[in-house]
Amino acid sequence: MSGLAQPLPSRGRGTGAVWRAARAAVRRRKLQTVVIGLVLLFSAATTVMALGLLVASTAPFDDAFARQRGAHVAAAYDSTLVSEAQLAEAARRPGVEAVAGPFAQAVLEVPLNGPGLTGGPLNVVGRADPAGPVDRVDLWAGRWPRAPGEIVLNDTPPARDLAGFGPERWQPPILGTSAEIPGGPTLTVVGVAYSLGRTADAWVTPEQIQAFRPSSTQVLYRFDSAANDEEIEAGMATVTEGVPADALLAAQSYLLVKQAVAAEPGVFVPFLMVFGILGLVAAVLIVANVVSGAVVSGFRHIGILKALGFTPGQVLAVYLVMVSVPAVVGCALGTVLGNVGAQPLLDISFQGMGFGPVGISPLVSVATLLGMPVVVVLAALVPASRARRLSAVEAISAGSAPRVGRGLRVQRWLSGTRLPRAVSLGLGLPFARPGRTALTISAVLLGVTTVTFATGLTSTVTRYADATDGNDHVGVRAADPERSTLRPASSLTDPQIEALLRSLPGTSRVTVNLTLDFSLVGSAQPVGVNFLRGDIETQGYREQVVEGRWLAGPDEVVAPSELLGERGLAVGDRITMEADGRRSTATIVGETMGGAPGPPGLLADWSAVGRLAPAHQLGNHEVLYQIQLARGTDIPAYTAAVEAADPGLDAWDNGGTDSFTVAAVSLAAVVTLMLGIVTALAVFNTVVLNTRERRRDLGMLKSIGMTPRQVTAMMVTSMAVLGTLGGLLGIPVGIVAHRLVVPIASGAAQIRVPDSLINVWSVPLLGVLALAGAAIAMLGALLPARSAARLPIAEVLHNE
Amino acid sequence: MTSADSTSEVVVRLTDVRKEYGDTTALAGVSLEIRAGEAVAVMGPSGCGKSTMLNMVAGLDRPTSGEVVVHGDDLGRLDETGRALFRRRRIGMIFQFFNLLDDLPALDNVALAAQLVGVPARQARRRALELLDELGIVDRRNIYPAALSGGERQRVAVARALMNRPALLLADEPTGALDSSAGEQVMDLLLDLNQIGQTLLLVTHDERLAHRCASRLVELADGRVAGERSLERAA
Repeated sequence: MSGLAQPLPSRGRGTGAVWRAARAAVRRRKLQTVVIGLVLLFSAATTVMALGLLVASTAPFDDAFARQRGAHVAAAYDSTLVSEAQLAEAARRPGVEAVAGPFAQAVLEVPLNGPGLTGGPLNVVGRADPAGPVDRVDLWAGRWPRAPGEIVLNDTPPARDLAGFGPERWQPPILGTSAEIPGGPTLTVVGVAYSLGRTADAWVTPEQIQAFRPSSTQVLYRFDSAANDEEIEAGMATVTEGVPADALLAAQSYLLVKQAVAAEPGVFVPFLMVFGILGLVAAVLIVANVVSGAVVSGFRHIGILKALGFTPGQVLAVYLVMVSVPAVVGCALGTVLGNVGAQPLLDISFQGMGFGPVGISPLVSVATLLGMPVVVVLAALVPASRARRLSAVEAISAGSAPRVGRGLRVQRWLSGTRLPRAVSLGLGLPFARPGRTALTISAVLLGVTTVTFATGLTSTVTRYADATDGNDHVGVRAADPERSTLRPASSLTDPQIEALLRSLPGTSRVTVNLTLDFSLVGSAQPVGVNFLRGDIETQGYREQVVEGRWLAGPDEVVAPSELLGERGLAVGDRITMEADGRRSTATIVGETMGGAPGPPGLLADWSAVGRLAPAHQLGNHEVLYQIQLARGTDIPAYTAAVEAADPGLDAWDNGGTDSFTVAAVSLAAVVTLMLGIVTALAVFNTVVLNTRERRRDLGMLKSIGMTPRQVTAMMVTSMAVLGTLGGLLGIPVGIVAHRLVVPIASGAAQIRVPDSLINVWSVPLLGVLALAGAAIAMLGALLPARSAARLPIAEVLHNE
Repeated sequence: MTSADSTSEVVVRLTDVRKEYGDTTALAGVSLEIRAGEAVAVMGPSGCGKSTMLNMVAGLDRPTSGEVVVHGDDLGRLDETGRALFRRRRIGMIFQFFNLLDDLPALDNVALAAQLVGVPARQARRRALELLDELGIVDRRNIYPAALSGGERQRVAVARALMNRPALLLADEPTGALDSSAGEQVMDLLLDLNQIGQTLLLVTHDERLAHRCASRLVELADGRVAGERSLERAA
């Protein structure tokens, strides 16, 4: 017996005890551990996808351009006025980082209207290889030309899934095809390469280029500073100093190329960034909510640990370990899931843009792997620090001592209603615990806000895609008799072609579009005017009006936002246009979000052709017919029918939605889904904690005769109240956030969105969202409530 | 004083009741009868099966074998819902730690038991007020449990237990968490209740409580009835 009085040998600092206590806590809270792990898994996955896309979207062109060491300026010199030695000498001046060339270049007139080699001028450069200090061309198919008669075309590489890997690598069909150059050799396509800076349309060997009598010499420069037009001009001034004045024929700045190439993602990037930020913020808040809830619910356990002799630091360590174990595991798995899930989206997003493989930056994974656990620790630290400061008695009391009830009036009123007592008790429960109720409502509110916002954003992106897609399934144009060598000229007039198209089976609506260029008085650049007739409403321009109104007369035009911004024009301005030496005026009566296919141009009614361009001799090849087909019409069969009806007509499938739209919508859907799951888990977790906290009450209620069904009804009712409240609060918050963010995001892309893209909310959708909060809460409550209904009363009442 | 005699109705009948938790035997064949109006105290050392037996009678737990019949209901044959309905109609329970709902004031804690049976709120409150009045705590009706003394909480618990006029009042260490003064009050209360005909089954360590309130003492040891005797109630 005397051994009982002997002190036990002390070893270390109690780390083993901390670990054992933490491990036991994890084992005892299996459900909570699983929930924390799952929340972290989906949060980390969302974060990786969001951050990854954010990073990739921020500068996809810049990254790809840097990888290719793209030319800041592709300069063309008159080889008769300046020698290669002079150019080489000039390129050695300070400020020039690297130079490639001189390369001889020539413009070929290609008659073939085949795939990849469209008829028209082809800017060909003679280069010995695709590498070099500047413009490292990506030879993604075939090989570089080695002999005369071989040519490599400049084209964007396909998407990763199409490109494939290994021996089954996809080969573009143009490889091996030949084109006969008038007065020159026959060129066989031996490879396809991509220069992001678009320094040439094609490349041949330096020997071959000489056969084309090169008219100029190309030199590619990279400057130390080339962030803007001024720095580019300064760089060019340096390299052309001492060069004969007229020797420089052209200098193409990469900034122009960047503007053109980045235009498409440019519209979506702000939206994607918003999704990224939303995913990140929601994930962090939900993780904080779940983790702090887990710590708060463990106060009594903390008190017991303290009573056993755990130091405040050890208690803190136990709880941090307890939440960190599932958090780290979930975070690691989530990072993997995020990487796996984001890559296809990135591939779709940037396919065909020539940015090369756009992957998730490893830094994103590292940031997530380090950042999310830090968030978890910080979220746990705040309540755990409070528990650390509490005495053992206070901590135990915080977890189990009788609380002073609250919400007396509500409770009394509810107990006096005709509602079943289980229901009225359930309705009253939230009022008794304002702190816990606030935590639960905040979880639901955050979730519903997120889902509302994300749903709205998805609708906006989808509607934007629909609006800009034009809704035309097939495009038809008559062959140009002066340029087309493959197709005969059509003998039909414009009205006859329209009549023919309207008579074909499957045609639903036809919009006729004639684009003519006019000089705009007061502006150096010409402006295109799209004269429209037919079923214009199918194009959705009228719905895209963001300011002013749609056309009502022949002296009116409507302009897309981009054009107005570029030219400094506004709705209400009267503009003067000139064509064939004749001036006419028109009033800009409306501003639209988008415009007709091609560069941004004015929109006018067909009746304005006679007023603005009375002298214009209309050629049928100038007119574009945009056709909407009846549902179920086979597009290839329809285009074949058009060409069979008149071999002079070229018909093409125009129905595909562009890849970036698909990616943006897919991403929005995926992020919305993931955030929905995380939200549901967070609510579920809160409900589980609530139920656990009420074990004694539930046991007591059962002891006085409450049936299992009544227990379930009470718990589900209590959560349904909070879910409904959170839902009703979350919806307006989400809508307000959407209304604030969409204009900002679209403004960043220099477009103004019409109300139809902002007012995406319909009553049924709002109803679904309102129910979503209650449904998530009730579903979350159902499992723990049923488990509560099965609680062994005797055990609960005696243990508590 | 009302006391049961051999002709009184049998309210509780336990026949060879066994309860096993894995390898542990909590009750090893207990047989016992309690007649209407009796006050029976069950005593014994910790772990002898007192609380388990009480749980069986209350329908909070099922026996592994044997038969538990309370007021004609064979509890072993009832499902969870059936036992819940049995509890709300046939018995009232008092616990050592009161087990009141912290979120409800005293009056609503008491009225709750009647409302579960379907009594309208107004009527339930009226009955609860009467009970609280009888128990001398009507002025505390709007106070939450956390602000009540231990004795007051136990009186509220007793009022709740009596709300549906149970055939049997079960008390599990009803004075265990009370100071001596509050304990005395509760003892008086139970005695008064029995004297007006309320059947009582007490589980306690407290000999004073047993001798004060009970007319019969059942001693349990190792899950069996080790002895049984009538008691002369102490003054």
